[in-house]
Amino acid sequence: MLITCPYCGPRDVIEFTYQGDGNRQRPQPASQDLDAWNAYVYDRLNPAGDHNEIWQHSGGCRAHLRVVRNTLTHEISSSGFARGDHKAARHKLEAKS
Amino acid sequence: MSPRRAETGGRIDRLRTIRFTFDGTPYTGYAGDTLASALLANGVTLFGRSFKYHRPRGVLTAGVEEPNALVTVLRGEVREPNIAATMVEIYDGLVAVSQNRFPSLAWDVNAINQLGGKILSAGFYYKTFMGPVIGPLKGTRFWMFCEHFIRRAAGLGRAGTTADPERYERMNAFCDVLVVGSGPAGLMAARAAADQGQRVILCELEPNFGGSANWSRETIDGTPAADWAARAIGQLEGHDNVRLLPRTTVWGYYDGNTLAALERVTDHKEAPARGEPRHRYWAIRARSVVLATGSFERPLVFPGNDRPGVMLAHASERYANEYGVLPGDRIALFTNNDSAYRSALALKNAGAAIVAIIDVRQELSGEMRKLATEAEAEILSAHAVVATEGGKALSGLKVQRFDMVSGALTGDARSIHADCLLMSGGWSPTIHLASQAGASAEWDAARQAFLPPRPTQKWVGAGAFTGSFSTAEAIAEGRTAGLSAAGATGAPTALPVVEGAPGDPDPAPVFEIKAKGKSFVDFQHDVTAEDVRLAHREGFVSVEHLKRYTTLGMATDQGKSSNVPGLAIMAEALGKPIPEVGTTRFRPPYSAVSIGSLAAERFGDLKPERLTPMHDWHIANGATMYSAGLWYRPMIYGLAGETIEQAYVREAKATRDSAGIVDVSTLGKIAVQGPDAAEFLDRVYTNMFSTLAVGKARYGLMLREDGLAFDDGTTWRLGEQDFLMTTTTANAGKVMQHLEYFLDVIWPELKVTVTSVTDEWAGAAIGGPNARAILAACVKGTAVDNATLPFMGIVRGEIADVPVMICRLSFSGEMAFEVYSGAGYGTHVWEALIGAGKPFGLVTYGLEALGTMRIEKGHVTGAEIDGRTTARDLHLDWMLSKKKPFIGSAMMDREGLIAPDRLQLVGLVSLDNRPLNGGAHIVEELDEANPHDSIGHITACCYSPALGKHIALALVSGGKARHGTRAFVSDPLRNRFGPIEIVSNHFYDPDGSRMHG
Amino acid sequence: MVERQSPIEPELHPGSHGNFEHGVEIILTETRPGSILQLAAWPGEEKRLMAGIRTVTGLALPDGAGGGIADGVKAVFGFAPGKFTVVDDAEGLASAFAGVITPAIGTVTDLSHGRTAIRIAGPKAEWVLAKFFAIDFALPAFPVGAGRSTTHHDVFAQIQRTGADQFDIYVFRSFARSFWKALCHASEEVGYEVQ
Ligand SMILES: [Zn+2]
Repeated sequence: MLITCPYCGPRDVIEFTYQGDGNRQRPQPASQDLDAWNAYVYDRLNPAGDHNEIWQHSGGCRAHLRVVRNTLTHEISSSGFARGDHKAARHKLEAKS
Repeated sequence: MSPRRAETGGRIDRLRTIRFTFDGTPYTGYAGDTLASALLANGVTLFGRSFKYHRPRGVLTAGVEEPNALVTVLRGEVREPNIAATMVEIYDGLVAVSQNRFPSLAWDVNAINQLGGKILSAGFYYKTFMGPVIGPLKGTRFWMFCEHFIRRAAGLGRAGTTADPERYERMNAFCDVLVVGSGPAGLMAARAAADQGQRVILCELEPNFGGSANWSRETIDGTPAADWAARAIGQLEGHDNVRLLPRTTVWGYYDGNTLAALERVTDHKEAPARGEPRHRYWAIRARSVVLATGSFERPLVFPGNDRPGVMLAHASERYANEYGVLPGDRIALFTNNDSAYRSALALKNAGAAIVAIIDVRQELSGEMRKLATEAEAEILSAHAVVATEGGKALSGLKVQRFDMVSGALTGDARSIHADCLLMSGGWSPTIHLASQAGASAEWDAARQAFLPPRPTQKWVGAGAFTGSFSTAEAIAEGRTAGLSAAGATGAPTALPVVEGAPGDPDPAPVFEIKAKGKSFVDFQHDVTAEDVRLAHREGFVSVEHLKRYTTLGMATDQGKSSNVPGLAIMAEALGKPIPEVGTTRFRPPYSAVSIGSLAAERFGDLKPERLTPMHDWHIANGATMYSAGLWYRPMIYGLAGETIEQAYVREAKATRDSAGIVDVSTLGKIAVQGPDAAEFLDRVYTNMFSTLAVGKARYGLMLREDGLAFDDGTTWRLGEQDFLMTTTTANAGKVMQHLEYFLDVIWPELKVTVTSVTDEWAGAAIGGPNARAILAACVKGTAVDNATLPFMGIVRGEIADVPVMICRLSFSGEMAFEVYSGAGYGTHVWEALIGAGKPFGLVTYGLEALGTMRIEKGHVTGAEIDGRTTARDLHLDWMLSKKKPFIGSAMMDREGLIAPDRLQLVGLVSLDNRPLNGGAHIVEELDEANPHDSIGHITACCYSPALGKHIALALVSGGKARHGTRAFVSDPLRNRFGPIEIVSNHFYDPDGSRMHG
Repeated sequence: MVERQSPIEPELHPGSHGNFEHGVEIILTETRPGSILQLAAWPGEEKRLMAGIRTVTGLALPDGAGGGIADGVKAVFGFAPGKFTVVDDAEGLASAFAGVITPAIGTVTDLSHGRTAIRIAGPKAEWVLAKFFAIDFALPAFPVGAGRSTTHHDVFAQIQRTGADQFDIYVFRSFARSFWKALCHASEEVGYEVQ
């Protein structure tokens, strides 16, 4: 599997570390809402199809990426820096191809 | 010389004689021969014994799909089993032996299994050996008794037991277009893509490029096809954007157009050149792929179809045309399609007598009748072979009138005298890689074959792979595929003109002749047509279940020749059309892959390892090294005659009596820099760091998001915006990723840089009552007294003209200092410290003494911070700040995490003066026969020189409340039971007076 | 002045090795630069950081991911978003940056001891490196001056192409010896010289 890092270009999956479901929302640090914390720490989406995931390019530039990957086909439809606006990253990729 | 070698013809070099042995008998062949062609040339017909019934087997094919002629190749002490003789190129001194026979190939005692065919039918193992014991000869226990004998009798070659001295390597490659297969289609594709300026890799699993052009005897553009192919390869060699890889099998098609290939670099050589690997594992990332992998000819299923001398029709053509070898003198052919007529003519032209062409079809075209006439062969249309005769070689066959529609055999059987029977059951495109890449194949009723699926990855097919079996089609499709893979369209151009034998690509839908006797479907696993029907009668309807029950297609050849006939028989039994029965998905590897090539450089000397700056000093000074993850660390510095325990006890005692020094360079070190560094640390650690003064260090604890303990260590404030965090050796990488995740994903607004500086610093921890005096003797530029360097203080100075940073902190419980210098100066500073310590009796100590002293102090490490313990469990709740939220603060007080019966850290003292064991359970009541009701377990243990006792740290349910009570260790695995006392984890100097000085 | 110890030294054997009878196609060197720094810019401050690098080193960084330049004495390349490795044959480069890269721009981290620089040169440099790293070393994909971050198993590496046939590899010091040994092993096939 290849993942396109916006900085390094397409790289083999061996250079990446999966860092979990990208849909999780971390509550405000001081929040005492245990249900929200519980959802953040333990709840994961597990779709059969496109999934929004976080991957770290740990064997490269070490940036975290937001990757939309189809869990059935492993097809990656978009990838961009997790830091920035994900939608913008997607547009940039589309513009390139 | 050889009984079956023609005087001329073929692609072998008759001027170069090669000597080799097979089963100890010396033979000769020519350069360019395979083991199979050379043995056939020598008149050898018997190559091996079959898997289950030990039936004599010859060679069925001429290529990678060979199921029968599997041999073991010996190189010195190293043996490699289960290699197809058709794929072994002979070299001078080659030693090959046959397999699965005892005592010899010709006289095999297990051939008696042939008589017991009923007993060894499908599911024999399951029926006989699974389940409850009913009677003396059934069930799992019976299996355990019989396993030894069965394993010896069944199966294939024996693996070697000596280490493989060969070199294996991995290569990474990138290209625009990868072309798999170098027949006419592949060659055209490679040329078309290369002419577009694309980076092209062309892989061919055989030694010679050209595929069917090497043996088809067709002409292309007026020259023999083999010459045309050689010219095409010559042109490709001239391109510097083309890489040609012969002897390279593309065996895996993975996501993202990543393909795996195995290049057999030196298997055909007497000896590799210096540094040359035996195999290269290529990981190829291709923008697009052209699959020009050709097709396999299928056997027909009829009684005795496995007898030596029965061969696929095209294979005989290859032997005749490529190697100048005739597989027989009197040859009969049995076919359901036109391609066998071309084979007949080829064998006739090579000098054999074609005694008959037995065709299941009633209606034959005029063209085929003409070919048969040219071959001087009698045609027996609407006939079938119902039996073969002979022992270790074919002597004849029986044919009967056959009705293709009803399958009925009528009339008297007629005997035909022949020493070779060629069969052709139609052709199956080699769709393995396409199947691996995604969707399932589609059945084509006309071709009677599975055709490649619609691409789900970026590949294009060409030639026989797509079901286009003629060379003219292959050439046209190859060019189109090459252009399309290159993203080009290309102007129409005149294509090379092919002249060859005519033929209808569609076979008659006949797979099996039902007559008395064993008809093999899977030759390698000895699965018969009757086995398939038996499986059906016993209720197996899914093709996946059928495969597993009969083991059809599950041998090392992965059913390359048996898949479609097996399905057809299954479909007939089910009364369903083949497409409804479905096919199985092909999985990697396409053909056998050496384990060495997968391991490549990941073992032995070449495995990555991490060494501290003082590594060579440790070795030179008698350290026994210990691997901790990838790091190597001194375990003990043993003196002559010392045991490990004596050494660490001496080291720990000397440290507490005077001083000891230990290499702590492996501790994870992370530079945390930037305007928000202090704020970030406050969020990451459970305690405050923003309040830490510059020039001071603080012990910190991190939790995970779920509130459990994660890692601990000290963090030093070197400047207002400049911190040096230390982590445990084992967690350095994990902590780094944890910090990076929060900075990148959760709090991108924080201006903080984190950098691994583990390798920048050499660290030496020196501790003991005389540690300060030793430092004072060698440090320049700073004082090290209590006022200048208080507990947790940091100073900078010089040791032996090298700048150092010294922090006063203690892991051993003694007055101790960590001295950091640039890693390149590590040994220099270490030696200066050793020199300064000489008058004080300073000892070097290793991990064992380090561990002993930390257990005596009750400090936690990874054994206690095991992912299940909380700060409270470890009595570190004093570190949980109430003034701020931090990672894990919201989740750490959940009900289950504060329950009073949780496992808590305690100390244990052995009351019977015997050593304790890590992992041993703690129980309230001893029951050696039936250990039960564990209340906890030991995490670390040692003999404590300070206490003169065997002690341990343990996690015990409600442990704190049990201080002062007695319990027992219960360790049935090591048969260690005995009384202990539960105490505080702070065994030694609990008020810290020694380290505070 | 105390000399820095090389982590490779005991395994560094000058001379020709491997299958060198037909000529060496690889030259391996430990270049031992005096300074190796990591510079990181806060988002939006990259241009100012690059200007600072130019001020101190005289090297003008090209724009774009992984862009870099080397002049034989100093070298600089991007290896991650907003992050650059700066190398100088001389020691003490960190102090030269002290007043230039202010906390408002970013950070400077001295890795002069923590990273080991190995140069691989020769017509088979791409071939040998392809045994280790899953990145495309072909000149069009990896131009002269450019930098890449990648890994070989656990060995993290930054690689700068400093010539058509020459690459400078920066690895963690603790891994340097085992990586060097692996590099020598992989070069035996084509013949190599250690300088
Ligand atoms: Zn990256």
